[in-house]
Amino acid sequence: MPEVGSVPESWADDDQLFAALKEAVRAARAVPPEFVEAGKSAYAWRNIDAELASLTYDSTRDLVPSVRAETASIRALTFTSAHLIIELEVSGESLHGQVVPAGEGTIEIQTREGVAATVGVDSLGWFPIHPIPASPFRLRYHTSDGTDVLTGWITL
Amino acid sequence: MRDDPSVIRLVERARDGDQHAWNELVVRYAPLVWSVCNRYQLNRTDIDDVGQTVWLLLVEQLGNLRVSAALPGWLATTTQRECLRVLRAARRYDLTSSPEDSPVSPDQADALIEEEILAAELNAALRAAFADLPGRCRQLLSMLLSDPPLSYTEISATLSVPIGSIGPQRGRCLERLRRSPYLATFSDHEIVGGETHDTRTSDAGGGQRA
Repeated sequence: MPEVGSVPESWADDDQLFAALKEAVRAARAVPPEFVEAGKSAYAWRNIDAELASLTYDSTRDLVPSVRAETASIRALTFTSAHLIIELEVSGESLHGQVVPAGEGTIEIQTREGVAATVGVDSLGWFPIHPIPASPFRLRYHTSDGTDVLTGWITL
Repeated sequence: MRDDPSVIRLVERARDGDQHAWNELVVRYAPLVWSVCNRYQLNRTDIDDVGQTVWLLLVEQLGNLRVSAALPGWLATTTQRECLRVLRAARRYDLTSSPEDSPVSPDQADALIEEEILAAELNAALRAAFADLPGRCRQLLSMLLSDPPLSYTEISATLSVPIGSIGPQRGRCLERLRRSPYLATFSDHEIVGGETHDTRTSDAGGGQRA
């Protein structure tokens, strides 16, 4: 048996326990069923067979507040995988990125609905994304030599 | 965070490809995500957006042991972060509100999130314990839980039991609920974000909602 621990002591009283159960049921009923269903369907995104690049820098998170205030219109993000870095910069209505080390390839823009667009990455590693996709989205970088890297979800 | 074997098992099964286990995790903790979003007074579209992002991030983190061992805490803090992001983004286009206009101060948010995590865990445990009761008890308690509750006369007629036995049956069913293994897995202390919190300091059913 699991260790006996501390549910609230007041639950020794039938009416208090009943009230707590009622609240627990109410809290679950307050959640719209579509909200729960959307959560269930997020599972379809697991197990993608690509190297994952995780967010290692986010200007809104990592900049000190005084600096952030001056550069509020620019957002910079860095994703790092075992073999490469994908940098993104948003300013106004434009979003562009760079893959380091540079290499020609393609960037697939994935949204919750699936692949939204594919753009080319030039020999300097640059790629533009326009228009800025609906959040959240993620990027998947492919090259002809088999590189396949997927970023974490991006929310702008 | 308390060591809840059932949650950890669900996370492991979800990580290994079991959609049912994933669904159960979502059902169990969607109320937590929902209540954090409501605290930030987000509109429905933004709540849906935050919810989706949180679950997508969790799918990605299923293999991360640190997350699975403290899932409610991770969900609550991730949801809070995403809510703040949405509020920040909205503020960029709304020059009339100052950056200090957040409905919840950081200190308040820390206190509230602790309450919300504890309430969500207790609520999830209660619902799991309830679902695990014998059918007869579930039926009786469901009738008493309905809003408005059925009268003893109606319950007596529906279940074909004497009115006088309903009170004692309710007591026996609540006792079974109290003894459920789902409610026995709470340890005396919870560790959230590296700090130790005595769960006894929170009142029953904390995290009151508006």
